[in-house]
Amino acid sequence: MNIMNRKLLKYCALFVTALAALSCESVKPYQRVYVNDSEMKPGQPGARGFEESVQVYREGASGGGSSKTSGGCGCN
Amino acid sequence: MGQRLDSAYKKQVLSKTDVQVLFSFYTQDNDHSAVTGGIGTENLQVYSPQFFINHQRDSFNTVHIDGGVDIISSASTDNIDFVVSSASKVDARGHTNIGYSRLLHDKQNRVGGNLMYSIESDYTSRGAGLNWSKTSADQSRALSANAQVFFDDLRWGRFENGKPIKLIYPEELRTKEWFDSHQRNSFNFSFGLYQTLNKRMALGIYPGVSYQTGELATPFHRVYFTDDSERVENLPGSRMKIPLGIQLNSFIGSRWILRSYYRFYWDDFGIEAHTLAVESPIKATRVLTFTPFVRLYSQTKANYFKPYKLHDINQQFYTSDYDLSGFTSFKTGIGIRYAPFNAQHYITFKEVELRYAYYKRSDGLQAHMITTYFSFGSQRKRK
Repeated sequence: MNIMNRKLLKYCALFVTALAALSCESVKPYQRVYVNDSEMKPGQPGARGFEESVQVYREGASGGGSSKTSGGCGCN
Repeated sequence: MGQRLDSAYKKQVLSKTDVQVLFSFYTQDNDHSAVTGGIGTENLQVYSPQFFINHQRDSFNTVHIDGGVDIISSASTDNIDFVVSSASKVDARGHTNIGYSRLLHDKQNRVGGNLMYSIESDYTSRGAGLNWSKTSADQSRALSANAQVFFDDLRWGRFENGKPIKLIYPEELRTKEWFDSHQRNSFNFSFGLYQTLNKRMALGIYPGVSYQTGELATPFHRVYFTDDSERVENLPGSRMKIPLGIQLNSFIGSRWILRSYYRFYWDDFGIEAHTLAVESPIKATRVLTFTPFVRLYSQTKANYFKPYKLHDINQQFYTSDYDLSGFTSFKTGIGIRYAPFNAQHYITFKEVELRYAYYKRSDGLQAHMITTYFSFGSQRKRK
């Protein structure tokens, strides 16, 4: 990926974070039906964990909310 | 009358157990194996059954255990000795993780620890972790911190001889001992902030830092040089990694969720990586959810990477492992999840999910991943 695309990714991340910060408001317990939905869980819930392990082996990067950071060779 | 009712009240303690079972299959192919110096087959299949059990004994104490086996069929490791044999082609990795956590009396702080162990023919990993989390009183914010250490041993021979014997080098390079150490240690620290932004949005921020030390090269990876000579891969004795992940989950309308994730990663091997992932679960009915997803990834190459026969003999560190090369990758696929409502039974079937992913790397590597996920739960009153 070239430098322009990397900058674009960084700006996208900043934009999303800024948008999220501006959207902040108090949520009462009875208003939590959407944020408590199982598909809104943070991290890599359910069947996603296996793919995360594979990506740690096949790519140089790891961590940042992913479930696996060590504990195996992956040298095949 | 009121007094009689109050005296009849008896506090009951519920214990809950959740069990998840996964069956996964992975297959890949390409012609850039590090075992043969950046050329040669990378054909690999992994069958991976796994289980996770969470037992919540009461409101405060939770025990966790997970484990699994990876059955690995690898054409590249068969080339360590260039003698094709089914015995060296098939390997297995067993792994387990046992943990305990306790919710403190303020009902906001949770502390815990865990022990991890994994073993394969040429690798053993022992790990331990401590974790802490705090959830705000109104449940809108969660902070977490996690520390892990791993002590790995790269020697071969556990399955064949019952104990580790020696490092395995490529057959033609066994005339000398290339490495001084067979240990690899990792120290990982990760943090999390999960904040509910409004009725439909939640943001997670996940910084981390990881430090590895010891023998970071793989003893059976070959490197070929411009003068046609050959050596075992050699990498620096330490590596610092810094990831920062941001996740934004949004519930749009009444049936559509958008899970977006970005990660920046840097390490002192020279790799800088960006990951952008978007998942879009769509609730077709109350019990059926379709989740298409796409993930884009790019990384710069490690300072020590060069392809086959392009390394200079005077270099101090060298590898032809394409996992450390500069590349982009693309993943896409779909998950189908069925989660019925039937909590009235002692053992409840909670959900089943089938997930398929296609993965392609710009160096030509292609992979397919299939995962089937089952989740069950049980709940009973304790005396």
